[in-house]
Amino acid sequence: MSQPNPIFPFVAIVGQESLKLALILNIINPSLAGVLIRGEKGTAKSTAVRSLAQILPAIEVFEGDPFQLDPRTEAELLAELSAAVGLSRLVEPRIVQRQIRVVELPVGATEDRLVGTLDLERALKTGEKRVEPGLLAAAHRGILYVDEVNLLDDHLVDALLDSAAMGGCSIEREGVSLTHPARFTLVGTMNPEEGELRPQLLDRFGLCVHVSGTLELAQRVAVLERRAAFEENPEAFVASWAAESERLAQKISQAQKLLAEVKVSQESLYEIARLCLEVGVDGHRGDIVIHKAAKAMAAWRGQTEVTPADLEAAAELALPHRVRRQPLQALADNLDLRRNQARDSRSPKAGPSQKPAPGL
Amino acid sequence: MSGPLTGRGRPIYPLVALVGQTTMVQALLLAAINPLCGGVLLRGEKGAAKSTAARGLREILPPLPPTSAESANPSLPRGRPFLTLPLNATEDRVVGGLDFEVATRQGIRVNNPGLLSQAHQGILYIDEVNLLDDHLVDLVLDAAARGSCALEREGLSLTLPSQFILIGTMNPEEGELRPQFLDRFGLAVQVASEKDPELRVETLRRREEFEADPWVFAAKWAPETELLKARVLKAQAELSRVVIPQRIREFIAQLAVERHVAGHRADLLLERAAVALCAFQGRKILAETEVLEVAPLVLAHRQRESAPPPPPPPDPEPNEAEANQEEPEQEEPRPEEPNQEESERAEPTETESAPPEPAPAAASPLDRPEPEDSGEEDSTEPPSPRPNALVERIFEIGQTFKVRRVETAKDRLRRRGSGRRSRGRVSQKQGRYVKSGPNNGLGDLALDATIRAAAPYQLGRERAPGLALALWPSDIRCRIREKKMGNHLFLTVDASGSMGARGRMAAAKGAVMSLLLDAYQKRDQVALISFRRDGAAVNLPLTASADLAGRLLAEMPIGGRTPLAHGLELTFREVRNALLKNPLARPIVIVVTDGRGNVSLTAGPPGSTQSRPLQQAWALASVMAREKRAKYLVVDTEEESLVAFKLAERLAAALEAEYYRINDLKAETLLSLIRAQT
Repeated sequence: MSQPNPIFPFVAIVGQESLKLALILNIINPSLAGVLIRGEKGTAKSTAVRSLAQILPAIEVFEGDPFQLDPRTEAELLAELSAAVGLSRLVEPRIVQRQIRVVELPVGATEDRLVGTLDLERALKTGEKRVEPGLLAAAHRGILYVDEVNLLDDHLVDALLDSAAMGGCSIEREGVSLTHPARFTLVGTMNPEEGELRPQLLDRFGLCVHVSGTLELAQRVAVLERRAAFEENPEAFVASWAAESERLAQKISQAQKLLAEVKVSQESLYEIARLCLEVGVDGHRGDIVIHKAAKAMAAWRGQTEVTPADLEAAAELALPHRVRRQPLQALADNLDLRRNQARDSRSPKAGPSQKPAPGL
Repeated sequence: MSGPLTGRGRPIYPLVALVGQTTMVQALLLAAINPLCGGVLLRGEKGAAKSTAARGLREILPPLPPTSAESANPSLPRGRPFLTLPLNATEDRVVGGLDFEVATRQGIRVNNPGLLSQAHQGILYIDEVNLLDDHLVDLVLDAAARGSCALEREGLSLTLPSQFILIGTMNPEEGELRPQFLDRFGLAVQVASEKDPELRVETLRRREEFEADPWVFAAKWAPETELLKARVLKAQAELSRVVIPQRIREFIAQLAVERHVAGHRADLLLERAAVALCAFQGRKILAETEVLEVAPLVLAHRQRESAPPPPPPPDPEPNEAEANQEEPEQEEPRPEEPNQEESERAEPTETESAPPEPAPAAASPLDRPEPEDSGEEDSTEPPSPRPNALVERIFEIGQTFKVRRVETAKDRLRRRGSGRRSRGRVSQKQGRYVKSGPNNGLGDLALDATIRAAAPYQLGRERAPGLALALWPSDIRCRIREKKMGNHLFLTVDASGSMGARGRMAAAKGAVMSLLLDAYQKRDQVALISFRRDGAAVNLPLTASADLAGRLLAEMPIGGRTPLAHGLELTFREVRNALLKNPLARPIVIVVTDGRGNVSLTAGPPGSTQSRPLQQAWALASVMAREKRAKYLVVDTEEESLVAFKLAERLAAALEAEYYRINDLKAETLLSLIRAQT
């Protein structure tokens, strides 16, 4: 898919460290469930996500399986799901390595395309009732990318929420009925000026980063230079960064292996719980995400011990969009401010005038 | 049909491994013990294990009692069906429809059963149930009420049994359930995350363990799951043996009466749930304790009084009325013998039942810090009833509340848009595929329905080579899609000095904020226009960001004279622009003012309309009223008193607008939220 047009390399993006870090952490531990990238236009949001494809590791899949089932844990579903889409199966399906995909959900997509529906061609040709899987099936174990996620139609958001909550997708449409696994990393970009996300969807993004154009002159010049070089000769530009990309991919894959060994101390666990209680988050997802992100962070540094710095960095990514806020109040851009506020204002006098400066 | 997410493949998080959340688990178990408890609604904040618990119940469900035919062969206890109704389901999958595969091949009509009949004797689970489309809600309600599912379509005429336990989860931030639907849930639990750090850390640990290896984790908890399953099964067997003393029956009835519960369903459910709890705890005789323990689950969501907002409203009158109603309940002595102890114990439970009640209002936490502010405004303002016209001030946002429904009527026009306020049919190929209908020439083919229409005739038709189906023009069915329309909401706010008096602006801001919150839930587009001093300004052009409008509202300064006519004129210009862009839109204009316009658009000769700002504004208003596509509302901020000018009322008359005082805007009762059915 990515062959025809060279993509600007991930490693060549200037600055935007927290954005890159959030994406990398999600590759290391896909169960972090995604990143929401908030920021103005032209801040390399989409470039960063699209360029992920080059550094994503490979996964094992059954050959020709539209549901990307995991051969190690979901093999028993293969027969049923294959029958539902009308694929005949060999007794011993071949297992192949394939790079994780970035599946893009266009804002104008129909529900049919997202969820899946009746296979039209088959119904007409053979009169058989078969399922045509949707984007959610294609995104299983991969990345589902929604540009301008805040403009997504409401019913599509509902479908996304449904499957994010279930870790799967239920198709009950147009005479067909099928449930298949769909666990994906949800990556969304948005410009907050055009409206906020619904709280429930907001919470489904594991991490949240706020990006803005860099103000440093040297960096801005670097952005211009690289962009010009890329546009002049994309192939050569990509080739010149290939070694760097490869190094990054290696480092990510090492971190992935290390992740299982990362330990979190007793104190750190309490620190997480205390932090979440202090700033006031809904539910337990905040705790869980900080925990996972901190572990991924340690693994990324090549360590097996989570340090307070890891926790701090993980909280910066996991909490801004979870801090309980009054409806219609701005998201907390600055977590420290919120924490201080939470400490200061045990009194009910924390009116909206004290909220952090609007992020616009 | 059993989903791979639950039955096989990756195990789900075991119910017994949940940390804390005892009320939620208890409610689910009661429904498992006695399906007649009538379903469970888990409502609460996101990330509080609602969905995890609901799906975990599956492992605990006792098998179905064997039917007479099966009892001959008891080797196969049937598991109870556990079906998920996804939000995007289409009608034919919910109620059932013709199986076209069979019809094409064999030329016979066979029903492909829908979820409602498949869920018979089992569980129908709906995640984010408050987001379920109205037409699907209707179908579920209908089946739940009748205990069966009638199918009259595509040449099929069937009635299938459909008795199921409805389990739903919802986050009230995203909107409330319709009252009839709410009533269908026997038990409702208000879920919140655990606040104890110990429990939170334990949650983290278990979650980590589960994700490291779900299989090992599930195996580790399997003995406990089995234990609980056995206990549920035993309780189920004991159900019929629980003795219900007469005085307990009276106690239940009294409880329901005291809580102002609509209908008799609550009494019945309360008894069933209490009996189930009694059996689960291994007791033989029902006592008050069990009744009181389950009472919040059954009664909290049924109370007829609307949730009074937790802080006292600034207006003392309704406050007193409420207090009068609440008080006697608490003090009422109970006639029963063990009443000394019982009623003592009753107190805490009764107050315990209160928290879930104000919850709908708590969904808009703006309530919390505000009352103090508006109270202060009240006390600081009176010395300057007519504030200096040149002083500018920023008032904080007053108390917010749940607003009554404002919507435009559903009509037959096809239009574009997205949102949740008014329902309308859409012309584009987007929106939810509601159902199919005969060919309407729009080219939005409902393939499934078309094939179903054609299928029974296939044996007799000549088919083109390579095609299994011969479709005739008469078979064509088109999709009917529906989409809630967000309206265009124009908020025109009077920011003149007269609004500063007596905390009026705080109250007005509170009202506008409530409208914004409502707009947000309904995905409206909002524009904010304010007028003060010598002119009006568009603070925010039409946008989907209610957040932005909220922020601007908070920062809006007030002061100066009242250029009402300017405000109206600018609003009308904006409305007309919006209508030019989208002629089918139905904008709603809300003017928040006390109506005391005192600045003219243009100066004119003395005695003419131009020189009289009020007349000018009214004249303008009657011009605006001629735009029938717009709907106008006037929210009067003038205090009620003997010397009230009632100018806003005059303005409303000129605008042919609906007229409200701030207090009128509040949604009085849950029942008033019932939407006018179309």
